[in-house]
Amino acid sequence: MLKYAIRRMIYVLPTLWAVVTFVFFLIRIVPGGPAVAALGSYATAESIRQLEEQMGLDKPILVQYGIFLKDLCQGELGKSLITQKPISQEIARALPYTLDLAIGGMVIGILFGIPTGIITALRRNRPPDYIGRILSLVGISMPEFYLGILLMYILAIKLPFFPVLGGGDFSNLGSRLYHLFLPALTLGIIMTAFISRMVRSSMLNVLREDYVRTARAKGLNERVVIYKHALRNALIPTVTVIGIYMSILMGGSVLTEIIFSRPGLGKMMVFAVKDRDYIALQSVIIIFSAFVFLFNLITDLLYSLIDPRIEYH
Amino acid sequence: MRSSKFLLIFFVSIMVGMVNPALAQEKVVKMALKASDIRSLDPHYGTTTIDYACIDPMFNGLVRFKPEDINPEKIEPDLAERWDRSKDGLVWTFYLRKGVKFHKGYGEMTAEDVKFSLEKAANKATSGFAGDYAALAKVEALDKYTVRLTFKSAIPSVLGILTNYHGGYIVSKRAVEEKGDKFKVDPIGTGPFMLKEYIPKEKVVEVRNPDYFRGKSKLDRIELWFMPDASSREMAFRKGEIDIVEGEREQAWVNKMRQVPGTAIEIFGPGETLVVHFNMAKKPLDDIRVRRAICHAINIDELMKFLGPDVTEKLVSAIPMNYLGGTDKVPKYEFSPEKAKKLLTEAGYPKGLDLSMVITEMSDYRRPMEQVQEQLRRVGINLKMDVIAHSAFHEQIRKDVNPMVLYVCARFPTADPMLTQFYYSKSIVGTPTAITNFSHYNKIDDLIEKARVEPDAKKQKDIWAEAQKKIIEDAVALPLCITKFVFARKINVDLGYEMRSTLTLVTTIKETTDVRK
Repeated sequence: MLKYAIRRMIYVLPTLWAVVTFVFFLIRIVPGGPAVAALGSYATAESIRQLEEQMGLDKPILVQYGIFLKDLCQGELGKSLITQKPISQEIARALPYTLDLAIGGMVIGILFGIPTGIITALRRNRPPDYIGRILSLVGISMPEFYLGILLMYILAIKLPFFPVLGGGDFSNLGSRLYHLFLPALTLGIIMTAFISRMVRSSMLNVLREDYVRTARAKGLNERVVIYKHALRNALIPTVTVIGIYMSILMGGSVLTEIIFSRPGLGKMMVFAVKDRDYIALQSVIIIFSAFVFLFNLITDLLYSLIDPRIEYH
Repeated sequence: MRSSKFLLIFFVSIMVGMVNPALAQEKVVKMALKASDIRSLDPHYGTTTIDYACIDPMFNGLVRFKPEDINPEKIEPDLAERWDRSKDGLVWTFYLRKGVKFHKGYGEMTAEDVKFSLEKAANKATSGFAGDYAALAKVEALDKYTVRLTFKSAIPSVLGILTNYHGGYIVSKRAVEEKGDKFKVDPIGTGPFMLKEYIPKEKVVEVRNPDYFRGKSKLDRIELWFMPDASSREMAFRKGEIDIVEGEREQAWVNKMRQVPGTAIEIFGPGETLVVHFNMAKKPLDDIRVRRAICHAINIDELMKFLGPDVTEKLVSAIPMNYLGGTDKVPKYEFSPEKAKKLLTEAGYPKGLDLSMVITEMSDYRRPMEQVQEQLRRVGINLKMDVIAHSAFHEQIRKDVNPMVLYVCARFPTADPMLTQFYYSKSIVGTPTAITNFSHYNKIDDLIEKARVEPDAKKQKDIWAEAQKKIIEDAVALPLCITKFVFARKINVDLGYEMRSTLTLVTTIKETTDVRK
């Protein structure tokens, strides 16, 4: 398995290279540059030229690309074109907030999604199932920016339990959790919808399997049949998709962070697009891509642990 | 069961009981602005609203606008106690306050710092506003507290370029030399507040400068949050986590926020001018009849009603009336769809015409332009608009792609900057000296140049008025209106002055600003 993991990590390098190369050229094709974004209504032809020179954007694009790849190979992400701060520092500061959010959202999704999935499967075509299915449809269809504002309005304005601003003091666990709750709940509700639907459909498949019928025929307690025989098998496909859902959560963090003013990677990415901060954007996308790869790899590896029939070559 | 209850209580208590007793004693004002981040805290580079909001509390100029008003005729001493000028207006001598300290132990502010700051502001390599100081020949430090400025030629407002705005801010020579590029994120000034912390993409925190020469500020700390999302800003304000919030320049927003208990709505100037510039280098707008037809087709009263009576103000000329040199003695194009159609027919477009242009996604531009689009449609002018990102818009209009450009801006409140940037031949877009002359207009160069060096204030105003008359007569541009700045403030925050207009474009925090617990 170790060999497999190492091989997968090597395979990801060309994928990452392709992603960053694509992004590198794509963002430079889009009209509007960082100098114009920075100067705004005061931009004159001369001031744009000067600022571009300072930012190193006056060099031919292939030269810029060469410098970018060379720096990247040396582990250098460069400096933000706008703030002039090292990108690695900005990412190191922002990443924990995004990870907190993604993990928080997933924990809530798992805590509520799995029981909901089980209940709706066991009460198939009965009121709990109908309610569960309607709610999960609502959860899947609801955009996170709308859900976030709705939760903010109810749980922060009308019932003033939670804050709406920032990510809290990162060194203070209490402050961090306090500020995390609403954004994590926003993503958690959406995750609950995804996971509950997955668990429900897996459970329905498993409940029809011979070994479940055999377990019942043996006279086993229904709880044991459900939790030991059916659920364990139903969770196998769920665990595999959780990795993919983690990637969705990283994407979902973008708007959630904007709404709750959390200083995470998603917010950093949006601002980088807006300001045409090429260097920051490239770096954030590399980090996002690396995490998506990592989650997929972990899922693959977990799969073999959960289902011993799977072998890696 | 008991352990789970204990865990629940523990979890809730750490989540809810997050109040730091030390912070509870502090007087803090938090402001949220429509911004993603600062561009620069070096005042000679800061051009955005968030930059102004952060820079102004940290710096001073030789002279300043009164906190409540930007009337250039009421500029008062700031770091300079007094000044005198030569008869020809080319040599100005400033006598500095003694004992003014820079932040964080960077020593006393002296003539050397002033000389360094103004030379930095005038240098293209170290300032974004060097063009404003083109006429500055030299700066001399005569002694520790006396500075002499010599100009190559007379300029409309010497004091104007020395105020607490853009290149007029005085920086610490030692700090700039020591910090180099880092000065942009770690600035040293003389203002009532000094930088404590800059957290990219989140906020700037400034704390009281204990040595401020006008006395200690009443607030301990100010926080300036970057919050581009309007709903999030509003929620944070309603929740009480933010004390002052940048609003939307819309009547609906103003009306809604007036209903929020404990809220004061600030609507202040100078506002931003909304002017449609016609591209006279392109068909069909090279024909004055078409331009005049558009002027007659636009119903400005309807537009102002749409944008909101509280947040708009009339603009009849290219220069607002509250700018030095602004006038209302210009020809007017009354709203008349019939005249518009007649002019279009005369110009050879009896069935109307099609135009296409790009417009930014920013609502300050997009919403009024959508209204104009609808009004033009009524007279047969089909205006196709492609909505693009704001920075892309700024790039595209400078590439001369639009038949007409809606430009929203505020400038130093004298007529010269706007006339020079929008109507002077050297500013025509696409030329090496381009600024923002989108119309390709070149008929008032002589008036602009004459007014700049005219020593008699009345005559200068007359020349500026003549220039503005020509702009409207030639239908170079159509002034639509002025949109004012809108902020909401908690009533327990006392600014210490009555906000009427400010060049920082935000509710400015001064040493007199206070907050009641």
